[in-house]
Amino acid sequence: MTLPNFARLALGGLLLAGGSGLSSCVSVAAYQKVYLNDEDMKLSNKRIEVYETNFQSYREGAGGANGGKVGGGCGCN
Amino acid sequence: MHHTSSPFVPRGAAALLLALLPALAWSQATPTPNRIDGFGTPNTTAPSPPNPSNHGETELNILTSYYSQDGNRGAVEGGIGTQQLTDLTPTIILNVPLDSATRLSANLGLDYYSSASTDRIDQVNSSPSSSDTRIHLDLGLARQLADKRTIVGVGAGFSAEYDYLSFNVSGSWARASADGNRELSVAGQVFLDQVTVIRPVELRNTPDPTGGTTRQSYNLNIVYSQVLSQRLQVAVSTELVAQRGLLSTPFHRVYFRETGGAYGTAKTELLPRQRLKYPVGLRLNYYATDLVQLRGYYRFYNDNFGITAHTFELETPVKVTPFFVLYPFYRYHTQTAADYFAPYLAHSVTDEYYTSDYDLADFSANKFGLGLRYSPVYGIGRFKTPFKGRVAKFKALDIRYAYYRQSTGLTANLISADLSFTLP
Repeated sequence: MTLPNFARLALGGLLLAGGSGLSSCVSVAAYQKVYLNDEDMKLSNKRIEVYETNFQSYREGAGGANGGKVGGGCGCN
Repeated sequence: MHHTSSPFVPRGAAALLLALLPALAWSQATPTPNRIDGFGTPNTTAPSPPNPSNHGETELNILTSYYSQDGNRGAVEGGIGTQQLTDLTPTIILNVPLDSATRLSANLGLDYYSSASTDRIDQVNSSPSSSDTRIHLDLGLARQLADKRTIVGVGAGFSAEYDYLSFNVSGSWARASADGNRELSVAGQVFLDQVTVIRPVELRNTPDPTGGTTRQSYNLNIVYSQVLSQRLQVAVSTELVAQRGLLSTPFHRVYFRETGGAYGTAKTELLPRQRLKYPVGLRLNYYATDLVQLRGYYRFYNDNFGITAHTFELETPVKVTPFFVLYPFYRYHTQTAADYFAPYLAHSVTDEYYTSDYDLADFSANKFGLGLRYSPVYGIGRFKTPFKGRVAKFKALDIRYAYYRQSTGLTANLISADLSFTLP
């Protein structure tokens, strides 16, 4: 199983951004969190995404670590 | 959306739902940290669970979706049948502040699906197995402790459909650092499920190899989140799962190369009775500009069935105005096959375990789509409710469309909506 090139590039970019962020990790005061408090900065799936997460947990043998079902409560994998 | 079950609408359950609706609508809600798909505890994948004392308002969310899929790898017919299926899923979520530190959440929903695939269990089209309804209800209670940084929660719920009944209990704990830049949350859930075994019609007089009709699942979810800068934050999560009991789907057929594909030569799918899953996720959000943000997610998955998977997601919300957001998204998933999977007629009768369910096959999948969210500061509209004349606010609207395609040929379309209301 190999990732296609575009996925590798995107994943690399994600890790690079994370790495650069870690190197600049600072204590951010509450009054400096105007960007972090933005609705689109929440570190979780949106509520509306639950249906997609659910059907993916049925149609794909792999799941979990994203707020969706991973076993139990249904006939899914 | 229990794609693997059969027959008809449980009328008693539907009546119970209708009876409960007014009572639930009467109660109040706040933002909804509870996991909408059936767990009453706060969603521990969300850092900084909403402070129960922050919201004196009731919040009500009405969610719904319409899902449609098609393909020709249906497991009911041994990996060569139709996968045509539709699913309609209304859901109501309520969050009720009980006092300054305690919040009650309720999540009530239906899955109504029709499936040409399960219709082939008895080889008669338009049989009772062509559709089913699942009902689920989950309740959760979350309380903020005196230190103002720790939230604990408990929950319980059930899910019922024609051939599947499930109960769950859960507990959670989350604690933020003093400066609010870090948070650790832990949640555990136990599911106790009961399966009614329905086998393919021609196999019902043969010995059932699956044994037992119960399934237990134990989930442990751990999330650590960290603010990295004024524009960047990250969360690392894992969700360890141990399952035991009936993990096979009793009405999935498997045809063997030695016996061919003639009627009556299939066996019922057989899988091990224990499964361990180890997913690890990394989520990274970056506030690039006031116009565009980047939401990235990567997951590595491994289990003892032999599946290894990588999943990558990217969403780029674009703020057309401060209150109107368009968010295109893309997801790529690739997985190896389970050790026990083989296509139609590829298994040997000497195999210890066997399945031709393409959910467990080697494939890649692409999903992309577009969402829009409209959430003006003062809401979209107001209206008087029957409850003591209180005025409710239609706060926000979120609509989303997704197209999904697997390398197995399966395609799916899904449109979903989330309507947010508040009551004073």
